[in-house]
Amino acid sequence: MTESYQPGDVEPISGSYVHVEVEGVDHRIYFEENGPEDGIPLLCQHTAGNNCQEWRHLLTDEEITEEFRVIAHDLPYHGKSVPPTSQEWWTEDYTMTAEKFTETLVNLADALELEDPIYMGSSMGGNIALELADWYPERFRALIGLECGAHSPGFYIDWLDHPEVNTTEVNAYSCWGLMAPQSPEQTRRETMYLYEQGATGVFKGDLYYYSVDHDYRDKLDQVNADECPLYIANGEYDYLTTPEDGRQTAEGIGEGATAVEFAEIGHFPMSEHPELFNAYITEVLADVTGDRDEELPDVLEPDDVGIELHQQGPAREKPAE
Amino acid sequence: MADTELGTHEWWESYKETVNSDPEMDVRGHDKFSENFYVEIGDERVLLEMDGGEIENLVPNPTMNHQWSFGVEGDRETWEEFVRETPPAFNHEIIASHYRTAVRNEDGHLQLTGDNKRIFQHLRAFQRTLDLMRVAHNDGGS
Repeated sequence: MTESYQPGDVEPISGSYVHVEVEGVDHRIYFEENGPEDGIPLLCQHTAGNNCQEWRHLLTDEEITEEFRVIAHDLPYHGKSVPPTSQEWWTEDYTMTAEKFTETLVNLADALELEDPIYMGSSMGGNIALELADWYPERFRALIGLECGAHSPGFYIDWLDHPEVNTTEVNAYSCWGLMAPQSPEQTRRETMYLYEQGATGVFKGDLYYYSVDHDYRDKLDQVNADECPLYIANGEYDYLTTPEDGRQTAEGIGEGATAVEFAEIGHFPMSEHPELFNAYITEVLADVTGDRDEELPDVLEPDDVGIELHQQGPAREKPAE
Repeated sequence: MADTELGTHEWWESYKETVNSDPEMDVRGHDKFSENFYVEIGDERVLLEMDGGEIENLVPNPTMNHQWSFGVEGDRETWEEFVRETPPAFNHEIIASHYRTAVRNEDGHLQLTGDNKRIFQHLRAFQRTLDLMRVAHNDGGS
């Protein structure tokens, strides 16, 4: 259940910094967490160019944080994880690769001494679930790739880091259509607001991994979902990695891979419609822990999880006469 | 507005009023969105001459005497999906629709044409202008 707060309430999220070595360099990584110390670790990865605030509604979900220790981090160069102080990082373009991304996640899990954690990420964080299953299947209890596909071309765009373009605004609003229009306007706008906080070049650099480096179309048989269960959950309105892309990816992987479509939601499910996402992901997590008796359906609908969609109206109310 | 057919003179005039009275356009237009663009619905093209985030003129069937920076093209069925109150996935926003056309080579979606640099320089204001077609079409206009 998503919380609502009153003035004076303090949210139960705590923030800390942990030092993690990536490619032989020390990185100071910020993370937020909530849930019992001995809860099942649930490591949550933000989308390209964004930060851990995308997960704030999962971090305050009382039902989920009763059982899970939810941890959401900022990748280096994102949010409060500043670039490494030992590097002249300003002399080269920021570029994310699959190797660097997986090493960061595994070393972060090690640094936090997470035992048998569940990994969950969206978009670039969803795609990397395939590499994690391929290269580090023994390190995780399960992998949940939200908005995950074998290949997601076409979003490594020069205009996202161009001196004659307002990249603050463009980096956000090139993503506007990735969300379902029936998701609440306040949370859709907040998702874009978070995008407007990204550092110059970081969104584009992340998209090098997302749209160029990541290509598992001919390598799905390498993915070890039989060793580490892999869930692929894609939103109906995600035009980059569609639910059909998710199904094809799961079919290509075979045993251990499960695809489920999240109806009426898009590419940023955890922040664009937290109430619906938290209800959906509760079903997936119950499958991971064995608390769910039935197989997950091919499509999860709002009705299946007891959520009544907000009334959709035009993007602006008609002014009073 | 819902009873008025998409693309008629009356429809475009109501749409113009919706754009020109939109409070978000005051912010996102920043008084600087003055790039003309056309909307092509099937075989019918209308030029939107923009001035500071407002539609100054609507020009049906623009000729070589007119100037524009970019445009959006699609068949009537696609545009009718785009302006629905709850549009279907992939035709619910311009970049979403263009991606399915340009990258995935699918039919039945909108396509951007023209100067990409100008598009991205004014993306938010341009995007909002198009989104307001949905507002006008579903009785959300002024």
